[in-house]
Amino acid sequence: MQHSKQFQDIFADPKAYARRWKEKTGGKVIGTLCSYAPEELILAGGALGFRIVGGSGSISKADAHLQSYSCSLVRGALEDALNEQLDFLGGAIFPHTCDSIQRLSDIWRMNAETGFHLDVVLPVKLNTQSARNYMAAVMRKARTDLEAVLDKIITDDDLQKAIGTYNGIRSAMKRLYTLRRDRPGTIDGSDVHAIVRASMVMDRNDFLNSLTQVVESLEQQPEPESKTGKRIFFSGGVCNLPDVYSVIESAGGTVVGDDLCTGFRGLTGLIDIGGDPMDAIADRYARRAICPAKHSGITRRGDDLVRLAKETRAQGVIFLFLKFCDPHAFDYPYLKSMLDAEGIPSLLLELEEQIPSEGQFRTRCEAFMEML
Amino acid sequence: MITVGIDVGSISAKAALINAGELIGSRVMLTGYNARNAGENIFTGLLDDLGIHRDAVDRIVATGYGRNSVAFAHKAVTEITCHAVGAHFQDPAVRCVIDIGGQDSKAIALDSTGRVKDFAMNDKCAAGTGRFLEVMARALEVDLDAFGKMSLKADRPAAISSLCTVFAESEVISLIARGERRANIIAGIHESIGSRVVAMANRVGITEPVMMAGGVANNIGVVKALEKRSGKTILVSAYAQVNGAIGAALIAAG
Amino acid sequence: MNNPDKPIDPEREKRKIKSVKRMKDIMTHYYIDAKTTDQTGKKVAWITSGGPVEPLIAMDVIPVYPENHGAMIGAAKMGVDLCEKAEEMGYSSDLCSYARADIACATVNGGPIGGLPRPDMLVCCNNICGTVLKWYEVQARYFKVPLFILDTPFNHTEYTKEAYAYVRAQLNEYIAFLETHCRKQFDFDRLAEVGRLSMAGQRLWQQVLDTAVHRPAPMSAFDAFFHLALIVTLRGTRTVVDYYTELLDEMKTRVATGIAVVPGEKYRLLWDNLPVWFRTRWLSDKFAAHAACLVADTYTSSWCGTLKYLDENDFFGSMAEGYSRVYINIGTDQMAGMVMDMVDKYSADGLVIHSNRSCKPYSLGQYDIQRIVQEKRGIPSLVIEADMTDARNFSESQIDTRIDAFMEVLKS
Repeated sequence: MQHSKQFQDIFADPKAYARRWKEKTGGKVIGTLCSYAPEELILAGGALGFRIVGGSGSISKADAHLQSYSCSLVRGALEDALNEQLDFLGGAIFPHTCDSIQRLSDIWRMNAETGFHLDVVLPVKLNTQSARNYMAAVMRKARTDLEAVLDKIITDDDLQKAIGTYNGIRSAMKRLYTLRRDRPGTIDGSDVHAIVRASMVMDRNDFLNSLTQVVESLEQQPEPESKTGKRIFFSGGVCNLPDVYSVIESAGGTVVGDDLCTGFRGLTGLIDIGGDPMDAIADRYARRAICPAKHSGITRRGDDLVRLAKETRAQGVIFLFLKFCDPHAFDYPYLKSMLDAEGIPSLLLELEEQIPSEGQFRTRCEAFMEML
Repeated sequence: MITVGIDVGSISAKAALINAGELIGSRVMLTGYNARNAGENIFTGLLDDLGIHRDAVDRIVATGYGRNSVAFAHKAVTEITCHAVGAHFQDPAVRCVIDIGGQDSKAIALDSTGRVKDFAMNDKCAAGTGRFLEVMARALEVDLDAFGKMSLKADRPAAISSLCTVFAESEVISLIARGERRANIIAGIHESIGSRVVAMANRVGITEPVMMAGGVANNIGVVKALEKRSGKTILVSAYAQVNGAIGAALIAAG
Repeated sequence: MNNPDKPIDPEREKRKIKSVKRMKDIMTHYYIDAKTTDQTGKKVAWITSGGPVEPLIAMDVIPVYPENHGAMIGAAKMGVDLCEKAEEMGYSSDLCSYARADIACATVNGGPIGGLPRPDMLVCCNNICGTVLKWYEVQARYFKVPLFILDTPFNHTEYTKEAYAYVRAQLNEYIAFLETHCRKQFDFDRLAEVGRLSMAGQRLWQQVLDTAVHRPAPMSAFDAFFHLALIVTLRGTRTVVDYYTELLDEMKTRVATGIAVVPGEKYRLLWDNLPVWFRTRWLSDKFAAHAACLVADTYTSSWCGTLKYLDENDFFGSMAEGYSRVYINIGTDQMAGMVMDMVDKYSADGLVIHSNRSCKPYSLGQYDIQRIVQEKRGIPSLVIEADMTDARNFSESQIDTRIDAFMEVLKS
């Protein structure tokens, strides 16, 4: 699809994009390690948020700091940082998520040279008033910390503008996902993936403009000829493999929705306008689709998954987990049994950044499609 | 209608020919370096065996990890679906198939029509696969074909606990150094595979009757270990190794 | 275990710690109490090892520790079976082996004591890891009982006033939770007394560990692993204070009479991370054969490491800081600093690092700690790749060679 060329290019080489952006604007690029990074504050501070979702090649330097039983995201990200692949960063923000990213933050701070280092120690619990108060307090602290490292006062007006941009992005992404659900075939899974990935690195105002154009033009397209592919929902964490979509599509499936960390999860929830902007931002982070490393009741993720699978009329769910991702692995048995109870078949695929055995991966996907 | 199923695995290639719902013949050979050639060779080899001309074959389905390199096949289907269909053909009562292949092992739950209900496969590591047995056979300097019978002579299977094939190999080497009987070590290796595969199979549910497919089914020691660990009886057909190819031929017949 | 064919070695007998028997009695009684609540009507709470136990004691709720249970499963060499059972339930073999063993055990009442008593409530404090959160969610769904989470924000470089306010507010929620589920009012005076006993117990435990400063050491980290159970499970009771008083006396006597736990102690080592529960004896003998004594460890000292943040006059309020600033809830560089303090205090000649597959917050960062300690203290170190409970991740021949090579370095 021609519209998505711009996004595909950025997704193919996000670092080159960030370097160009830095050169052009003279602004700071800030690496973020998780979808809970307070991106609105980064934008309000005039900087570019650059989500790091893994590394770009084989691991050697990171092996001196991280054991083999840490996930490929953590090892790959550190490898890039130590290899000067991220030398364009003016700083890095580590929101508190899982045990591995928690220690990665320490190791990064002690060894990498990527500018300032900011830990945003968010609550793990999200469903109590005290946790929400703490979330707001942490966000305020992050604002002050950012002001110091960016040497810029972040005004409420800056925040309102950033909120406007992010609400725009998240609304447009929702329309894109609605299209994918209601008119599968309108857009390829790998294009949606590229758009989501671009949303994590591209100048957010430029991104909003481009995204709006794409969504509007797609909405005006005539309904595609009905695609007979099996309707598949992706559930899981970080998936750095664009090929997953082509494997599914060539095996006769169509991805109709996801709750991935490199998917819709971080793009859910609008920020209330009118009230105090910091409270509103904090409130949205507590309400958005949840990461398994956080807590909001004991069946929140299962309830959400079943609801989404039904809404998207998924015929099957494929779990995509990074190997060694503990929070996802702990949730898997109960998520699977909740899907089983609804008669929705599922398949678990554990991934690492480089698919070690592509053949086996393909076989599993194809066998699952044959089963449906 | 004459159909052929070709199963190109990581270690061996298999072919089976079906005519009007009946198994006419089958053949097994080593895959070797070139999966493409293996598909062609096993196909022509089987036709020669049976004295059937290529043109007489109506449809061909390829399966196994090399299924996409069999250019002359009409269709490629995964070995999971093929094993289910093959096992159902051999015994329609079967509800669970365990296949231990060269590079992966799988457990398949099927319904009364032979359709796959659920399946599980080992993760990328070699523990619980045919490759694991090969590594161990090399360490023990025993021919792999003798493994099954030798393990039956064990009086006290050795404990081999490591999950990792490399670690397990070093465990085996230290057992050898300690003078442990070969039979006990081999039985220990089988039990280690048994516990690994049963743990995986329990994820889909081991409902009897259970049939074992794949070349490792010919190893009586592994079958016994699986039975011991799961507490279930395991059927092994004479066609275990060509079960996937039979399934592929049946799928080709539609 | 007594072997009737083997004559008693008087030297070995002399070095045995006599308090062990009393400790076993206390633990037996404790588990009997916990497993007979249908007769006593007491409530049982499952709680994480780093969790705030004192309010439970003050409420007459029996605290039960799945992690202590995990250690028992490991020591009884029953970890592999239970871990495999969990894997059959769909849990990845890469997950924490305590969690796997406990989750599986709950469904079959297996393990060395026939399973833990059913909980009436669950109390999870994430100051030790994020794993406990997921683990307790699993158990809350399984047992269908209320779950309280004490969320203690991680301290990378600083302890913030925001985090303090959050945890302090949660302590009030904790009390409300207990009042609701025990259907009685909380007695703060009782808590103050429990708090005093808790702090007394922690001070005594620290003093017990400190006796290993003496050369030769009267006890080793392997002994500490065993005697630790009380400060974890019964912290805040008189029993702990009495027992550690007795144990401290025994250690002082051993120091005075020159009884060494490792005969001919020549090398003093510091252990990092949890024990390898199913191989403590083997490792202990292995090091002893080299005249090496593991004089201290970062693990058992965690249960007395935050005394400086606790306040006897406001125990309840000071729990916020005390429970937030435990050893593995702090930055890797601070942990390295504490390791060096221990190297100095116990005059360690080397560092033994257990890289524990089951515990990411403890293990990730160890390579940096190793480097820092080597740079700043110039002592050699050894990394052992293993696991606390899952014996499938232990390669005896590999570790045997590594230890021998490490000792050759130390001796040269």
